[in-house]
Amino acid sequence: TTIMAVEFDGGVVVGADSRTTSGPYIVNRVTDKLTHIHDRIYCCRSGSAADTQAIADIVHYYLQMYSAQNGEVPSVQTAAALFQEICYQNKSNLTAGIIVAGWDKYEGGSVINIPLGGSTHRQPFAIGGSGSSYIYGYCDSTYRKNMTKDEAIKFVRDAVALAMSRDGSSGGCIRQAIITKEGVERLFYPGNDLPVFWEG
Amino acid sequence: MSALEYNGGAIVAMAGKNCVAIAADKRLGVQLMTVSMDFQKIFQATDKSFIGLPGLATDVQTLSELFRFKTNMYKLREEREIEPRTLAHMVSSTLYERRFSYYFAEPVIAGLDKNNQPFICSMDLIGCINFAKDFVVSGTSSRSLYGMCESLWEPDLEPEDLFETISQSLLNAVDRDCLAGWGAVVHVITPERVITRHLKTRMD
Repeated sequence: TTIMAVEFDGGVVVGADSRTTSGPYIVNRVTDKLTHIHDRIYCCRSGSAADTQAIADIVHYYLQMYSAQNGEVPSVQTAAALFQEICYQNKSNLTAGIIVAGWDKYEGGSVINIPLGGSTHRQPFAIGGSGSSYIYGYCDSTYRKNMTKDEAIKFVRDAVALAMSRDGSSGGCIRQAIITKEGVERLFYPGNDLPVFWEG
Repeated sequence: MSALEYNGGAIVAMAGKNCVAIAADKRLGVQLMTVSMDFQKIFQATDKSFIGLPGLATDVQTLSELFRFKTNMYKLREEREIEPRTLAHMVSSTLYERRFSYYFAEPVIAGLDKNNQPFICSMDLIGCINFAKDFVVSGTSSRSLYGMCESLWEPDLEPEDLFETISQSLLNAVDRDCLAGWGAVVHVITPERVITRHLKTRMD
């Protein structure tokens, strides 16, 4: 799995590959790893598919209750705190690496990385999953502050494509979601439509 | 992860009408990390026979050099090229010699004999030969390859049709395997010539 989220002025771009594996066998090659948690908050799931699906369903429920009971849209930080509570308190039984990203009226776009232990890290951009190991250098050297929406989209697409090329557990196609005040726009790049880099 | 899955790879061979074809992916990995997209797994033994070696990459290279030595010595002594069936028995004996500290490779042999009759077979890692009339598969994608070959293969395919059939069998099988893919090569052997084609595949 390769997952990524990048903040830009006005929102966030989240992206992921689409491969789910059981050992070496590819169980699903068109998976959607970008999960709706609330209207303007998505999470990127990596690790055990069962664990992350269960956690995302619970947080989705809590945020529904939050917005119904409090009459206001939850912040990304609130969503991240809920993920953190579950991931930290059950750390011995879970394998879940989650990136929470979205838009709220207090911070604009936010990206919050929650790795295996259950810590939270607000970052301008975050990468996760087994494929992320191969793109730390690429991301660190390519990232610029104050990117535009289109620059952020290209950054995510190129980085995820590079990781898919090297990581056996990542592949298929690239799914993206762009979250802004206006709404969520979903993008899809089929496997034959990906940027191509050096292939030997 | 077992030694046969450490580097990853997939090979398939099929028999057609007066022709055989053998195909392999080109990935070399270290568990789930891909290191090369250009790794050779099929080696030419004689003008009209090929050995495909999937499995642990160090044994793929060691065995290919060992078989090159043995077939060269055969040619010097016998003053003729080795027949595919004989080559299969030679490979089998070589593997069985290491019955209790085996090579981690499960070879596939494809060729035309002196009467241009198609010959294909596969072996397990200690040399048990499986003589087949239709197709043989080996490597990390073997289960998917069995499914693809069983549905796509039919008898008496001409060289061009055999190429299409073996290519589609390999491509769709390795696309469901994390450890194989990243390019492919197909050799079609006919009495007149050997045609080698490199396939453009998914690189993920």
